[in-house]
Amino acid sequence: MAHKILVVDDDNALREMVGIVLEAEGYELCYHDAGSGALESFKNQEPDLVLLDVMLPGKDGIEVCREIRTVSGTPIIMLTAKTESEDVVLGLEAGADDYVVKPFDPTVLLARIRARLRPLSPSTSEMVQIGPLTLDVNGHEVRRGSEKVLLTPLEFNLLLTLAAKPKQVFTREMLLELVWGYHYKADTRLVNVHVQRLRSKIEDDPDNPKIVTTVRGIGYKAGLG
Amino acid sequence: MIFRAAINWALGLFRRFLQVRAVFTTVVLSGIALLVVGGFLSYSIGNGLYQTRVNQILQESERGVIEVQNTFSASTVTDEISLQTLLNSVVPSLESSGTSDSRKIALLRTPAQIGTQILQSPISADLDTAVIPFDLKTNVRNSLGRLSYQAVSLPQANGSAHPGVVVGAPIEIPIAGKYELYLVFDLDGEQQTLDFVQNVLFWGMLILLALIGIVSYFVTNWLVRPVKVAADVSEEIAEGALDRRLTEKGQDIIATLARSFNRMADSLQKQITKLASVSNMQQRFVSDVSHELRTPLTTIKLAGEVIFASREKLEPAAKRSAELMNDQIDRFESLLNDLLEISRYDAGAVAADLEVQDLNGLVGSAIAGLEPLAQSRGSIIEVLIPSGPVDAEVDGRRIERLIRNLLANAIEHGEGQPIQVAVGASDSAVAISVTDSGIGMSRSEAERVFDRFWRADPARKRTTGGTGLGLAISLEDTQLHGGWLQVWAKPNQGASFRLTVPRRFGEIFTQSPLPLPPKSSRKISGSNE
Repeated sequence: MAHKILVVDDDNALREMVGIVLEAEGYELCYHDAGSGALESFKNQEPDLVLLDVMLPGKDGIEVCREIRTVSGTPIIMLTAKTESEDVVLGLEAGADDYVVKPFDPTVLLARIRARLRPLSPSTSEMVQIGPLTLDVNGHEVRRGSEKVLLTPLEFNLLLTLAAKPKQVFTREMLLELVWGYHYKADTRLVNVHVQRLRSKIEDDPDNPKIVTTVRGIGYKAGLG
Repeated sequence: MIFRAAINWALGLFRRFLQVRAVFTTVVLSGIALLVVGGFLSYSIGNGLYQTRVNQILQESERGVIEVQNTFSASTVTDEISLQTLLNSVVPSLESSGTSDSRKIALLRTPAQIGTQILQSPISADLDTAVIPFDLKTNVRNSLGRLSYQAVSLPQANGSAHPGVVVGAPIEIPIAGKYELYLVFDLDGEQQTLDFVQNVLFWGMLILLALIGIVSYFVTNWLVRPVKVAADVSEEIAEGALDRRLTEKGQDIIATLARSFNRMADSLQKQITKLASVSNMQQRFVSDVSHELRTPLTTIKLAGEVIFASREKLEPAAKRSAELMNDQIDRFESLLNDLLEISRYDAGAVAADLEVQDLNGLVGSAIAGLEPLAQSRGSIIEVLIPSGPVDAEVDGRRIERLIRNLLANAIEHGEGQPIQVAVGASDSAVAISVTDSGIGMSRSEAERVFDRFWRADPARKRTTGGTGLGLAISLEDTQLHGGWLQVWAKPNQGASFRLTVPRRFGEIFTQSPLPLPPKSSRKISGSNE
């Protein structure tokens, strides 16, 4: 079944052009042209992925992103005209999985979309245990005891990647390749921001993490010690 | 040591404080004036006292001498005994003793007379005739009856000396012959008065001097305080508190100063606020332009790619057009990126994203990105880097872009010759140099190489698609790091660009770890003899 992509952008020409490129690749498209009402459109269409412009009339993309995250973990890729640090970080902190900077190549956009829609690599085991958490690989579920922890697919993927090889240290570059599908150097802030978001959901004390720990100067790993 | 420290402290105080200088100068000048006035007063008073006393003494003496002379002239004594008695009565009649007005008498026989002295010379009990100077005696003998006097010093029993005056006159005594009457006056009373006056003068002037010092302190304080307030306020304004002002009060010069100062501060504040708002506007403009241009450019780019991807189905002219459009869209994009970057610098909206990084790694990835271009131009990129990591606190994205710019530049002007990239490090700085052996530049060209859109030879065609802003942005990137970007070039010998940045942001360095012009790597390997 073709994946459904919601494009939220106020520029008619760009929306149509993105549609042409993505439809040529076999995706099913739906559109929305403003920040206001984007959430309703999302709820009605139930897309598999959202392409979200940052600068939107009515309500900006960062706000829309935050709204969608309250109801769903669907992958969100921000389209941004700005490369200024704050804008990118704000988008990621609002819950966007990834971002592409305008003007982008169609190949870049497609690569980012494919990486986000790619099914998880089959794991050897169906259940992975990390600290107090149990990851159900097939069911895409994380449980702390009997309590379910809600993670976006990206966060689940990030946690699973780390937990599948406990004690191994992953550099930010390795995580960018394994989780985000970047094969060339990319923005390591993606990793930093999402590790923070993940910790805020799974750690008892996000400032003093025990499940996903930082290895200074190198990267991250699962577990203490 | 303590003395010297005190002097240094005083000198420091003197140099630092206008008020200390003003008070010091006033006190010194007043001191000199008081010394002159005091000296004059003391001299005048002393002189006046002395003259008055001497006149009085002379009058008294004259009376005394006439009296004595009359006594002898009128006497009818003929025998020596009664004459002696008469003589002896002279001294007590003239003598007086008191604390302030003592007078001693000596009646001496003039020596070198015919006949021997038969009478004893009457002399006041405690008078030492040695105090009568020889000069005076001579004067008296030659005076023909007039009074002579001379100032002398009268030794006292306690070893000190009182000032005194000796008055002398010749006396003719019947039978006995020529005698000389000397009256010795003690001026200690006058001296004491003078001492007292001088003492009063000295202390009075000292007190006056202290008062002048205090008054001048208050006066200068009164004058200096507004200046000090103005200095403090300007300091605060310089530190950014643009709305600080002086209080304007009265019509005097200080009020005028305050008013002009405030007017100056007002106009400065207005200018600064205006500049800041212009800068803010420009930043917003840059941001808006960024968004407004990028969105249509994205559409154009996507459309161009779609057309380009299906170019094989197009007619030859349309196919070529699609190819040209595709290239030019990329060029347009990099031009836009460079323009936006330089406007961000112009708007002062750039902040370095600093992180400790290995420069070798940045050089490596920059070279990796440009290797294909270098190969297409036939240039080999030779790398000379230290074996270990070269860590420095830099904005990695900007430094890598800078190295890429330098490399692209070297490839474009390198004429297919090898290009050397060197990395060097010292304790305080790290450096990267990129050297080509291509067409090079003249000195005047090298001076303009960082200018925007400048080309060494306008006729020379641009082949690598540089935007003309690369080196200008590189220079801005360097300055953002507090570093140097320098160029060496010679026509037909090549050019070398050297970037030097501090190891830690904000650190001072005085020397680059790499030489400029560079030592040729091939010359080094060739000099193995």
